[in-house]
Amino acid sequence: MIPLLFAFAIPNLFWEPGPETAPALDQAGIECPYVRPEKMAAWKNAGRCVMGGDPAKPEKMRVPGVQYRMNEASASRSPWINSNGWRFQRIGRRVVLYDLPKGKGAFGLAEAFMYNAEALVKIDPDDIKAYGDMAKFLKGLEPLGMPERVNIGFVDDGSAMAGEMMNLMARKNLLFKVVKKADPQLDLNLKPEGKNPNEFAVMARQKLTDAKRLVRLYGSETTLVRLEGNDTRSRLHLINYGNRPAEGLQVRVQGEFKNVTLHLAPSGQEPASKIAAPDLMTGEGVTEFTVPSLAVYAVVELNK
Amino acid sequence: MRRRTFLQIPAVAAAATSDEIPKYTIVSSHKPQGKAGMPGLYPGQVVSLQSKSVIDAATEKVNPKVVTEMISKGMTELTGEKQAADAWRHFFTPDDVVGIKLNCSGAPKICSHPLVVAEIVRNLMALGIKANQIYLYERFLDQVVTVKYPEYLPAGVNIGVVGNNRSGIVGYDPKTFVEVNFFGEDDTRSNLNKMVTEKFTKIINVPNMKDHGASGVTGCLKNIAYGSFHNVARSHQYSKTHTLSFIGTLASVEPLRSKTVLSIMDGMKAIWQGGPFEKQHKFAFYPGRMMFGTDPVAMDRLLLDIIDDERKRQNAPTVWSRTTGEWGPYVREPGHIEFAAKLGLGEYDKKKIKLKEFNVA
Repeated sequence: MIPLLFAFAIPNLFWEPGPETAPALDQAGIECPYVRPEKMAAWKNAGRCVMGGDPAKPEKMRVPGVQYRMNEASASRSPWINSNGWRFQRIGRRVVLYDLPKGKGAFGLAEAFMYNAEALVKIDPDDIKAYGDMAKFLKGLEPLGMPERVNIGFVDDGSAMAGEMMNLMARKNLLFKVVKKADPQLDLNLKPEGKNPNEFAVMARQKLTDAKRLVRLYGSETTLVRLEGNDTRSRLHLINYGNRPAEGLQVRVQGEFKNVTLHLAPSGQEPASKIAAPDLMTGEGVTEFTVPSLAVYAVVELNK
Repeated sequence: MRRRTFLQIPAVAAAATSDEIPKYTIVSSHKPQGKAGMPGLYPGQVVSLQSKSVIDAATEKVNPKVVTEMISKGMTELTGEKQAADAWRHFFTPDDVVGIKLNCSGAPKICSHPLVVAEIVRNLMALGIKANQIYLYERFLDQVVTVKYPEYLPAGVNIGVVGNNRSGIVGYDPKTFVEVNFFGEDDTRSNLNKMVTEKFTKIINVPNMKDHGASGVTGCLKNIAYGSFHNVARSHQYSKTHTLSFIGTLASVEPLRSKTVLSIMDGMKAIWQGGPFEKQHKFAFYPGRMMFGTDPVAMDRLLLDIIDDERKRQNAPTVWSRTTGEWGPYVREPGHIEFAAKLGLGEYDKKKIKLKEFNVA
């Protein structure tokens, strides 16, 4: 196991280039990245703080993103999303590696942060500025330290089929956690059944009912969510796997929150921003608001 | 605290049609406004004008003088007035902010013709409505820009498109929507255009005469319904379409229903197959017709016969056919017009429709 330092659980950068690239790290605000053990001496001789880690050891995550394969994911127009969210439910807090191609560095960091992953994030050196901007955004968030909000329990038998069932529940923003046995505190408890993961996820939605879903999204087929907190204070993570911003995303969260603030992560030339949630409506046990444009990632703070 | 109005589709309508009608929830805080909205000031009445000279079938060139004459005649016959201006005053005042609902889904080959739209604008401005109080509106910018509307219009008239985004609700009212789950889709809301809820005081609907692969025909009802809400294409999947009940349901939502006070159907050119697009030119025909009314059901009931008659002439299956295949992937639902009648949007019974027909030279 690689020992990792977690400041506010920000995933750690794994940096392949040598110490001659230290200025790029300085510019990006990266203080102490992970490097290969055999390169540690060179970095320390250059007066830099580094940690040693072998990227071959951790479990490797999929490259997050979207594939527009019409009618293949399900009998719908929904694109196929490669998300690692459900995997973290299965493996728990174990060190993982994101080995990301050019253009995916900041996105992978956001996904790893959203799922509170102990992750090494290996990026293309050209992505260092975007990565640094995202890391700075994440560090600026107030630590919450509250439990995940879910209302479905799933008894994972470890099979590939069960994995795909969890993947499709996550894809439909049905918020679940892996349980060893049925948890009476939850609205719905499920175990793998049948041979069609999509039908399973549809059944899960029907049994739970839309009225009981903790989060509903309107206006994006490529955005996934994670919810933390309780009825008094919650944090909603939104990540858009699509190739273009989700414009005018309508969000509905269980619980009445009068104070809702959007923290929108930087993307490309767009800097990070913080705004009061537009179109805020509360009542009937729910809160609704609009996210004007979700390029990549946003954190929504909801307070009573 | 949010203020919502939950309106269910009247039970009598659902019971009278089919047990397959999905459960609709209409969320709107807007109340009905008077009697001007659909079916409007002239329920069950339609004025239909035809001219052999309004469009040249070979070149598709439209004669603007005949357009002017047809619109003047249509409006005066509908209202019983002698002067066109007096006819338009039945519907509009100088303070109105008027949305003109275009049909550009088949643009640029078939759409609300810019000369028709320009003549409507001219009549509105003659009442004292300023150019900047008039909006041509449609959902998608990429369709509208294919028609050079600004070249036909006075400066200041607005083009009010929502954008090119097919899924997000930017430009739509988050507080006014129809919620329904057709096929297990995750996004179960269709929100109403924010210009309709916040800006317009009146709407003129300017549909075309077209076959439609899912709804049978597309005229007044489908243009005002699917053209004013987002996330509507989800009503079709494989061969099944829920246009039967969705079109009328959307059209009945306030304030869309109350604000839509006049329909002028541009049937100079029409489509008998492949609609709402002109997929092949051989599917176009040229009725040289315009219809005027306030009752979308009555007008669409007449449209049904126009399209079906042409399909018979072309040896195509009737729009009532329940088969799919080479003539289209969906089972057509022309019954959406009768369904809308049961929601109180107009008169479906041809025997009760008062039709005035005229030929214009």
